[in-house]
Amino acid sequence: MLLLSSVTKRYGDVTALDRLSVTVPDDTYVSLLGASGSGKTTLLRVIAGFEEPDSGVVTYDGRRLDGIAPHRRGIGFVFQNFALFPHLSVGDNIAFGLRYREENPLTDTAEMRQRVADVIRLVGLEGLETRKVTAISGGQRQRVALARTLVTEPRVVLLDEPLGALDANLRERMCDELRSIRERLKVTFLHVTGSETEALLMGDTVAVLSAGSIAQIAPASSLFSAPHSADVARHLNAYNILSGKADGGRFLSDCARFVMPGHPAVQDGTPIEVALRFDRIFVGSADAGEAPEASISARFIASEFNGSSVLSFFRAEDGTLLQVVAHLSGPPPESFEEGALYNLAFNPQDIIPFIKRAA
Amino acid sequence: MEARVLKPILGVYCAAFILFLYGPMIILAILSFQGAGGGPQFPIIEWSTYWYQHLLGMTPPSRISRLPIGDSLLRSLTLAMMTTVVSTTLGVITAQGFRTRFKASGAVFYLVILGMIVPGVLVGLGMALLSNMLGIDRSWWGTAFVLHVVYTFPFAFLVMLAIFNRFDRSVEEASLSLGVSPVQTFRRVTFPMIFPGVLSAMLFSFTLSYDEFSRTLFTSGRELTLPLTIYGTFSVEIYPNIFAFGVLTTLFSFTLLLVYALLMLRAVRAGRSFKGQEEAV
Repeated sequence: MLLLSSVTKRYGDVTALDRLSVTVPDDTYVSLLGASGSGKTTLLRVIAGFEEPDSGVVTYDGRRLDGIAPHRRGIGFVFQNFALFPHLSVGDNIAFGLRYREENPLTDTAEMRQRVADVIRLVGLEGLETRKVTAISGGQRQRVALARTLVTEPRVVLLDEPLGALDANLRERMCDELRSIRERLKVTFLHVTGSETEALLMGDTVAVLSAGSIAQIAPASSLFSAPHSADVARHLNAYNILSGKADGGRFLSDCARFVMPGHPAVQDGTPIEVALRFDRIFVGSADAGEAPEASISARFIASEFNGSSVLSFFRAEDGTLLQVVAHLSGPPPESFEEGALYNLAFNPQDIIPFIKRAA
Repeated sequence: MEARVLKPILGVYCAAFILFLYGPMIILAILSFQGAGGGPQFPIIEWSTYWYQHLLGMTPPSRISRLPIGDSLLRSLTLAMMTTVVSTTLGVITAQGFRTRFKASGAVFYLVILGMIVPGVLVGLGMALLSNMLGIDRSWWGTAFVLHVVYTFPFAFLVMLAIFNRFDRSVEEASLSLGVSPVQTFRRVTFPMIFPGVLSAMLFSFTLSYDEFSRTLFTSGRELTLPLTIYGTFSVEIYPNIFAFGVLTTLFSFTLLLVYALLMLRAVRAGRSFKGQEEAV
């Protein structure tokens, strides 16, 4: 079990990690979601030992890791740019760790060949052993980087945006493969990404990193359906966030007012943020008689066609931007007129209210 | 101007420039084939390889003595070799040190660079005075060697600095994360990747040291290096045997360059140098 407690790391005036605590259980796939600049790469580098925290403790199974040299930590690292050894062949890249590691290097050539062959089969690189790493494709390089790390049997593998350098269809295939490889080897993967779809798809557990600390860590489905804060909801890129205040069990803002579910016991006037899922909004015509109780009137701006769904953008009277997803599995959505006023209706029960933290 | 006119003009200019660069060397090479009775000037009285034979002691004894270059050639080569090894090693180590920012790194940088900026005659003279004061005998392998290192080390350092500047650190971190110690990482990853740069640093150090004159003049003591010996022969009378020797050393330098080019080609082929990482993205 990898444990970080109260880890802080500063670069000059910038605080990259701010008293961050997190527990990474054994044999799981944890994905770490964070915007760029949220400190996610710093976090991996602190765990790997390329950076030392200013304060706080990193332990693995009770053994202190911080202060130990990177090569003695037993933690694998897969780099975003793969960082392959350009002067070595695919086979030699993979054998590198076994051959030259400080502790218990492998000298038996037969065993070496066997283990390299095993991992090459695991990641599907058969027949490329003697190739230069500069003479293979991006996806193959990704596999070499992974194989090179896995063959040394680290306890935890840190993956720094491992799919970022791959093109889209390759990325999807690698997603499945990463998961199945991990399940076979029973090691812990800590996968850092800036993409919410990748994080939710890959992780058994998803941690959201925001402003240098973990905002929430939960199983992927519960994180998605029940974010703990507006900040987490923002990271999921599936929620509209409205700010307003409480008013007798209702949410009140310049563009909307409706009853909050569960009637949170807050004083009137408390700043409140609510999250409203993109795909729980129904767009109706503005002059369709009486507006329903929970609705916002907004002007249509533009829409994006994403293949299986359409994402539409609306702007409310007070300037709030609202996004609406319509899935194309249902009846084809009507096309909206730019600049025209529409009624965005939703069920108040779908609203997730948060008490706004004082900045 | 139209390219039709411009092109020939540029061509002629370029040819003239190259002639200007290599003219002296060509004259020297032609004169080295002067006949036995001829002097160090035109006309060529007779085409022969007499002076080459004279240089190697293969001619019957004559009034002109052989060039006394055997020992000094050996000295210069040894000195250049020693300087190459020490300067390149120091250059690599120092540049490696400069990869992490440290206090007063700017001051240290200029201190190192000073060695190639200060006038050679001054440094040579200063070294001579200092060694006299301290009672140290001047010698090509001692006082002169130190100055050669001081002079060539900045060149090696700058070459390596440029190499490390575009070196992707994550490759080294990858090696560390595989359990490989920093020393092994340097040996197995860093060094093979910077090897083309090391070759260049070596070439710089060697050639600079091999024909260093001003610094050596005051510090080599009684046993002279090759440039000093050749200069010494000028004070008597010049014969075409010097030209013959000049041609031979030039050929030697070209061989050195050829070896460098071949090694470089191999290193670049083997590693695709540094492009490998960038291409991956």
